[in-house]
Amino acid sequence: MVTVEVENLTRTFGKFTAVDQVSFSVQKGEIFGFLGANGAGKTTTIRMLCGLLMPSSGTASVAGFDVYTQPENIKKNIGYMSQRFSLYEDLTVRENIRFYGGVYGLSRPQISSKTDELLEFLKLQDQADALTASIPMGWKQRLALSTAMLHDPPIIFLDEPTSGVDPVSRKNFWLLIYRLAEQGKTIFVTTHFMDEAEYCNRVSIMRDGAIIELEKPQTLKTKYNVNTMQDVFMQVVEKKSL
Amino acid sequence: MQRILYLIQKEFRQILREKTFIGLIFGAPFIQIVILGFAITTDVNHVPLAIVDYDQSQMSTRLSDAFSVTESFEFEGNLNSEQEAVQALDHGRIKMAIIIPDNFERDLKMGIHPVIQAVVDGVDGNSAGVAMAYLNQISIKLQKEWMQETGGLSARMRQVHLTAIEPRMQYNASLESVNNIVPGILATMIMLITAFLTGMSIVREREIGTLEQLMVTPIRNYELILGKVLPLIVVAFLLLNVGILAAGLIFGLWMKGNIFTLYFMSLLFALSTLGLGIFASTVARTQQQAMFIAYFFMIFAILLSGFFIPIENMPPFIQGITYLNPLRYFIVVIREIYLKGTEMGLLWKEGLAMGVFGLATFILSSLRFQKRLE
Repeated sequence: MVTVEVENLTRTFGKFTAVDQVSFSVQKGEIFGFLGANGAGKTTTIRMLCGLLMPSSGTASVAGFDVYTQPENIKKNIGYMSQRFSLYEDLTVRENIRFYGGVYGLSRPQISSKTDELLEFLKLQDQADALTASIPMGWKQRLALSTAMLHDPPIIFLDEPTSGVDPVSRKNFWLLIYRLAEQGKTIFVTTHFMDEAEYCNRVSIMRDGAIIELEKPQTLKTKYNVNTMQDVFMQVVEKKSL
Repeated sequence: MQRILYLIQKEFRQILREKTFIGLIFGAPFIQIVILGFAITTDVNHVPLAIVDYDQSQMSTRLSDAFSVTESFEFEGNLNSEQEAVQALDHGRIKMAIIIPDNFERDLKMGIHPVIQAVVDGVDGNSAGVAMAYLNQISIKLQKEWMQETGGLSARMRQVHLTAIEPRMQYNASLESVNNIVPGILATMIMLITAFLTGMSIVREREIGTLEQLMVTPIRNYELILGKVLPLIVVAFLLLNVGILAAGLIFGLWMKGNIFTLYFMSLLFALSTLGLGIFASTVARTQQQAMFIAYFFMIFAILLSGFFIPIENMPPFIQGITYLNPLRYFIVVIREIYLKGTEMGLLWKEGLAMGVFGLATFILSSLRFQKRLE
């Protein structure tokens, strides 16, 4: 079942084309990786799909809703976590969960049961009433993802979720992503860590606003006759820029 | 609705967690009212004055005495000539010199109008004007006193039926400027807190990235704005009350009118300053920018409000512009309520103007505030 459908999606800023006629579709339960150098158009694409940014042309639907006309319906069906920090550092862990729960329209009993569930799941019971600023970065990241999913959305957009996190925390984060995918959630993730690309079901590689490759990691490695996604990425980016 | 409550709860948590903020809310009104109340004064006292008395008569001495006993002037002594007086002015030893001509007493008694000359240091035009007014008052008083003595003059006066104007200030009897300044400070304080804090609190969330997160939630535009604005209305309300208390405790200036009228009018006024804050947040990328934008508008609002400069003194074109300034109406309203105890019914025009401007600014700014990124 297709949950994200994109056709010729384009976004220009003045004369600059950030995203250039991009087309792809994402299946339910898939971990879809979005690779590319900085400025390749990953974030712009993700923002258009989340209803944060109007596309200039092309069509796109998320969870069956049109990005032009039904952005509010999309927002009810997605979780979004950006590379920028999304929690309030001057609120405690519990207050952050409660606030986002309230904003996502959860009822009071739902919020308290969700809070307990999340604190246990993230093993944050002891820090529940500590200011968010005081907990380690890796935990903050997982907490941020969990709060972005309080309303149990079927699709999750992650924009460079692991930048600035140590390798162990990164691994833990990806274990969390796997668990979510097993539950049938669709994960749409951008990254520039190539080892993370190996974990995706399919990856697309973007350059100058266009998608150059879109395949399973294994297929790409065979195609370019290399052992890692790192080498695939270098070859793809260098070949085209020569 | 529920979402707004969660937003409000969050805002208050953040406000209460910031100790400096609480100090600001309760300390700032006291400090502002004390310092500005004492410092901003249009009262002119102890103007250093010298007299050149060419007449040396009984009447001219009486004139000198009259100037030396009043609080308004500081009598620095007699000088011998006009040249000396000008020199003293040049050196800044005195701000005003009075020159009594030769034959002052004789001319006065004969009914020929003698002319006293006053030389005033006009560098500070406001004070100079006020000093001149005092000077006139004193000489009018003396004239009345002398009328009885000069038979010829009083006979003539009886024929002329000269109208004597005796001014009596009805609502600010001592014409103390603090009575005028303090309500003005309260008004600007409401403006400051609502315009600055609204702009900055929205832009701060943009800076740290939480605004982007809120934008992908199903929260609605109006909910987001109300959630931001309502806590700040409460803060401004607290601040106003602290200010009212400070004015009463420090200057003994308690409002004559109904406090609920003032609350209501303040709310109407705050609509436009909150709107200004929202507008600033839609234009600014950083908190500094938001502050600067709010500041830019506030300076004009204050200068063109009649707080310091009477609107009647402005060129007609500028006077026209002041009608677009909500603070202009609020300054009138808060002074009326404070000093005259004017009732709501008599202030409906100002209230209406503020309400219309407030709603327009608030709604237009809110429409500009989009849940999308640019």
